[in-house]
Amino acid sequence: MSDKQLILVVDDDPDLVDMISTKLEANNYRIAKAYDGLQAWEQIRQEKPALVILDVMMPKKDGYVTCIEIKNDPNYKDIAVVLLTAVVDNLPTTSYTHHEGRTTPADDFIPKPIDLDKLMDIVRENLMR
Amino acid sequence: MVEKMAVINRSAPTILVIDDEERVREGCRKVLAREGYEVTIAESGEVGLEMIERRHYDIVLLDLMMPSLSGFDVLAHIKTLHPDTVIIVISGYATVENSIEAMKRGAFDFIPKPFSPEQLRVLTKKAIEYTRAMQDIADEKSRMRVLINRLTDGVMATDSQKRVVLANPAFLRMAGCREVQAVGRPVGEVIRYEQLDQLIDRALAISGDELVELTEEICCEAEAGQMAPILKARCIPYIDRAGRNVGTITVLHDITTLKRMDQIKSEFVSMVSHEIRSPLNSVLAQMKIILDGLAGEVTPRQQEILSRASAKVKSLVTLSSELLDLARIESGLISQEKEQLNLSDILEDQVAFQGAAAQAKKISLTLEPLPKLAPVIVDRGNMEEVFSNLISNAINYTPEGGRVVVSAAMESGYLRASVSDNGIGMAPEDLSHIFNRFYRIKNDKTRFIIGTGLGLAIVKSIVEAHDGFIRIPCPGS
Repeated sequence: MSDKQLILVVDDDPDLVDMISTKLEANNYRIAKAYDGLQAWEQIRQEKPALVILDVMMPKKDGYVTCIEIKNDPNYKDIAVVLLTAVVDNLPTTSYTHHEGRTTPADDFIPKPIDLDKLMDIVRENLMR
Repeated sequence: MVEKMAVINRSAPTILVIDDEERVREGCRKVLAREGYEVTIAESGEVGLEMIERRHYDIVLLDLMMPSLSGFDVLAHIKTLHPDTVIIVISGYATVENSIEAMKRGAFDFIPKPFSPEQLRVLTKKAIEYTRAMQDIADEKSRMRVLINRLTDGVMATDSQKRVVLANPAFLRMAGCREVQAVGRPVGEVIRYEQLDQLIDRALAISGDELVELTEEICCEAEAGQMAPILKARCIPYIDRAGRNVGTITVLHDITTLKRMDQIKSEFVSMVSHEIRSPLNSVLAQMKIILDGLAGEVTPRQQEILSRASAKVKSLVTLSSELLDLARIESGLISQEKEQLNLSDILEDQVAFQGAAAQAKKISLTLEPLPKLAPVIVDRGNMEEVFSNLISNAINYTPEGGRVVVSAAMESGYLRASVSDNGIGMAPEDLSHIFNRFYRIKNDKTRFIIGTGLGLAIVKSIVEAHDGFIRIPCPGS
């Protein structure tokens, strides 16, 4: 085990996961990857990450549900969760509203399109807590 | 057109005089013909009846005491054949009792023998006026009935006891009535949808001095193999002169297609959002990784090109966000929640809310003292959107140290609210486009002001959805 902290990146777009991971690795973190909520849980059980970067719109199990599950689990609720939300997704017909994002127990949010530098700041801040 | 019809209807009134006394008959004929009426005479009840069976008379002057067929019998016949014919009884030796009896049976008035030509003229004139008034009411009623029955929207009126007073065929069909005969029956027996029933209850509970229109969307049961129709129901309490709630008027409008289109649009927009923006987001992240040198060294020239490409992609992402915004607002306009509001409150709130933004730019934002404003029936969220847009626009396009003034007044039945500023103004050639989507005035002064070009388009659609209008009065100021 190295002393680098483990961060789990979850998004259904492999390219985005790849880029966020590259940036995080350059910032001295270890990375685990998942492409939907179910895979995210597999990874979390395999090795508990310090922080999860979680996309909201994903197939199988979306980010909100996954986030709530993590925060309700006594073994994992201390994992910091950063949600990737698209602010403009508050169409009345979609269930992915920004409002809902605010009421989920995530530790932080970053809107899409993601500013990778800002994301690094948010990650750093949340790991210092 | 209406004038012409009125003239045709007002051809000479027809009068039939039934009297067995020739002197009286001829006397009446002379007097009335001189008045311009078309007069026919009958010397007995039998002859009179024959004539009445053949055609309609506006007025019948009827002698009560005639040999063989009595005046009362003739009266009864006329009432069955032509209920709207006005009957004036000529009472010979008559006792008042006879005349009163005749009036009880439907005579309009009586004239005792002997009478003067003047008495006859006055009474006939009164009868003509009466019959014309009745005719007008009947015309109006039938015109209204034709109009209402031909509407494609459903219309139903109830009394205060919640009984159906009027219901057009469109209403009966939309409300799922199986029975054709609805008038006079309780609403609950006629309509199938509880929601509609409750809407009418709510409207009936409204007291006279409130000005309201209740609206609700009703999702109907789908018929086999068809989409469930969606109706927009508007219910208005009907207030009499004394301000009492005397019933309701309900209008049903089929918005199924509108809703369906809206749904398709939302789905499409949502698809655009996810399927187009997501890849763009990754592209942005990929460029960023290269720019940061995390994928190998980057030359200054490559850096420059990538930065520019990145800016272009970002603007595409912004564009898709704006489209989403517009779609969201427009779909909001289809199902408005209108309520009675005092606009003063909204104006005060919005001015207070934008105060900080104005202060940051050292702009004086003031609300002029408001006169008493009549309440308006509006969607609160929509109104907030309108004034928030107009005021923030004014602040954005006014240089530091400027002023923005909000005012409102009643003007010929409308409420006029205005937002004025002493900012950069507008060229006349921009005026015709300013409410178009994505239109932004491009010049030296606006180049660095961030905007979507959608604000005023949204404002205009909202104002028009409230049957109002918006304009920019003096260009260049």
